[in-house]
Amino acid sequence: MRRFFAGLLALLREIGDESAYSRHLTAHACQHSPEEWRRFSDERMRKKYQNAKCC
Amino acid sequence: MKKIAGPALWALISIVGAVCLAGIATNRGEPVNSFWIVLAAICVYTVGFRFYGKFIAAKVMMLDDRRATPAERLRDGHDFEPTNKWILFGHHFAAIAGPGPLVGPTLAAQFGYLPGTLWIIIGAVLAGAVQDFIILFCSMRRNGKSLGQMAREEIGKVGGITALLTVLIIMVILLAVVGLVVVNALKGSPWGAFTIAATMPIALFMGLYLRYWRPGKVLECSALGFVLVLASIFGGQAVSESPTLAPMFTFSALTLCIAIVAYGFCASALPVWLLLAPRDYLSTFVKLGVVVLLGVGVLFVHPTLQLPAMTRFIDGTGPIFAGKVFPFCFITIACGAVSGFHALISSGTTPKMIAREWHAWPVGYGSMLLEGFVAILALIAACSLQPGVYFAVNSPAGVVGNTAAQAAATITGWGYPVTPEIMDSLAKEVGEKSLFYRTGGAPSLALGMAHIFNAFTAATGAGKAILAFWYHFAIMFEALFILTVIDAGTRVGRFMLQDLLGNVYKPLGRGNWLPGMLFTSALIVVSWGYFLYQGVLDPLGGINSLWPLFGIANQLLAAIAFCVATTILLKMHGAKYMWVTCVPLTWLLIVTFTAGWEKLFSDQPRIGFLAEASKLQAVLDAGTAVNIAATKTQIFNARLDAFVCGLLLILVTTIVIDSLRIWYGILSGSRTVNLAEAPFVLSQLQAGEL
Repeated sequence: MRRFFAGLLALLREIGDESAYSRHLTAHACQHSPEEWRRFSDERMRKKYQNAKCC
Repeated sequence: MKKIAGPALWALISIVGAVCLAGIATNRGEPVNSFWIVLAAICVYTVGFRFYGKFIAAKVMMLDDRRATPAERLRDGHDFEPTNKWILFGHHFAAIAGPGPLVGPTLAAQFGYLPGTLWIIIGAVLAGAVQDFIILFCSMRRNGKSLGQMAREEIGKVGGITALLTVLIIMVILLAVVGLVVVNALKGSPWGAFTIAATMPIALFMGLYLRYWRPGKVLECSALGFVLVLASIFGGQAVSESPTLAPMFTFSALTLCIAIVAYGFCASALPVWLLLAPRDYLSTFVKLGVVVLLGVGVLFVHPTLQLPAMTRFIDGTGPIFAGKVFPFCFITIACGAVSGFHALISSGTTPKMIAREWHAWPVGYGSMLLEGFVAILALIAACSLQPGVYFAVNSPAGVVGNTAAQAAATITGWGYPVTPEIMDSLAKEVGEKSLFYRTGGAPSLALGMAHIFNAFTAATGAGKAILAFWYHFAIMFEALFILTVIDAGTRVGRFMLQDLLGNVYKPLGRGNWLPGMLFTSALIVVSWGYFLYQGVLDPLGGINSLWPLFGIANQLLAAIAFCVATTILLKMHGAKYMWVTCVPLTWLLIVTFTAGWEKLFSDQPRIGFLAEASKLQAVLDAGTAVNIAATKTQIFNARLDAFVCGLLLILVTTIVIDSLRIWYGILSGSRTVNLAEAPFVLSQLQAGEL
């Protein structure tokens, strides 16, 4: 049960881009800050919304 | 013992699936419980996944876990990132599941439950999942290239341009048709209109919250947004009961059409973080939650199907859209059985996140089967309504008559009894003024879902009040993610136009040039906005012309994806496995070209665009038109639809001929086979990294 909820939380974090942000912080060896989030999310969303949403 | 237990279990699942399918296919006269359909779908999908999916993975694609995927080789922490297969499964499913698998089956229920059920079950296993899986594999072996890039490389420049143009046309038709679904769900409904209007400031609040107040806290922000959206549903009830506020939120279809077009323009031009992204996060979470809730609800309630196996409308005289069960059932249900749009997702983000090649099997093949299951749930929700109610909600005034009494008499005359009193009572129960002429599929689906959800809460004694809440919850859910499709789609359409127009005038191609951005945004919004306007004015409800056009476009894109897949399989194995993609390709070409031909040249005005234009022209020439300007507009619209339909058929004919030329070259040995896969690199990925 614990594994199920951990998996569910991981899925929600992936869909919500929180995991991607954690990876971004690790990859660039930087700390979380409002500026860093804005930098990350701007780039992430720019790429994300170049693709169509499915019908 | 284990050696016997495995095959015996699979034999049992196969037999149960076959018995359930045979049962629902041969049953006539007696009501069928939805449990049999659910069981048939689960068994067939399980067997299809285990055997056909695995056969494609092992023999056709020869997946190899020793081979490093692009996620590992090109790992950058952003796009390319090895991801746990179940997380990626959920991520991919959330990306492919849009309004299509909910609305299409609801509309196709006019033929009865059987044609749609069989198409969703068989189509998903043999066509839809095969397309998604093979395109995902092809893209994964080519460093995550898009369908357009692969079409250009594998088939040629013509293929690439054709794919791009087809996608652009699909985007325009898709945005118009989903816009029409929202318009028809909200017209004359102050409760629904208030709830959806409230989601705009909620999304703006979420955008600011995430940007400035709690940066990075997406889950927290979405949970807050969800609470606010639920509050807005209760607020909507208060508005609908207020004599002062209700008229302020009661809109005509035309007003809603203008509002949605204006919204599309603003959403496309505003910064993504302010409106689009927070709404997208919220709608994705709500979508997943509602799908799970609907699945549990159907399994728990297992309602009896009220619609017959096949209605009289398989002969092509259906009130929702005209056309015989073949080919129109197969283009009405696209997402849920096979959808070309999925090929864009399978060659988008997902191939860049696959950690091991074998993960493509559950992610590509499995998530399409899950979408098929969602389509089955939607079909059950629609078919669990009384047939008279289903047709009263979904039939346009132009077919059943302009008053409630006329509509009820017409529908009863078809053999599906309904009275204005029954409809009034149902409308009151769900907090609406009227449920007649609510075409588009969303309201009838919401009714079906509300009844299923309500069965959970019936024991509390709050049954009827809760029914109204669930109805508006379902409407909010559908409208919320349809609006996300509209704003994201408008933005994508803008990028595509900028790409194309940048070749004519360079500054137009620059993403940061404001006049170019506004011009292309306006152009794309006007394009789909015009089709939406056309649908709103259409006396036959708009769905009759727009949904088949959308279905044809979507299936033709699937045909393009299968052309690319067949070319790659031919390069890999010669003719040995080309049947895997050629069988669904041939079926899709037969279905879409028959449907396209009928939409163009049928002599029945409700089916053929040109016949409709001729009929209206004759009325105009005879001087008997009630409204000359409106009739002229209808004639133009019918001819425009005919042009778009013809253009799609020409584009796909071009790509099929081009593919045949390439295939002949490969099979005859006159063409050098260049399999443009990335070279083999041994994977170093450790199990602990996932």
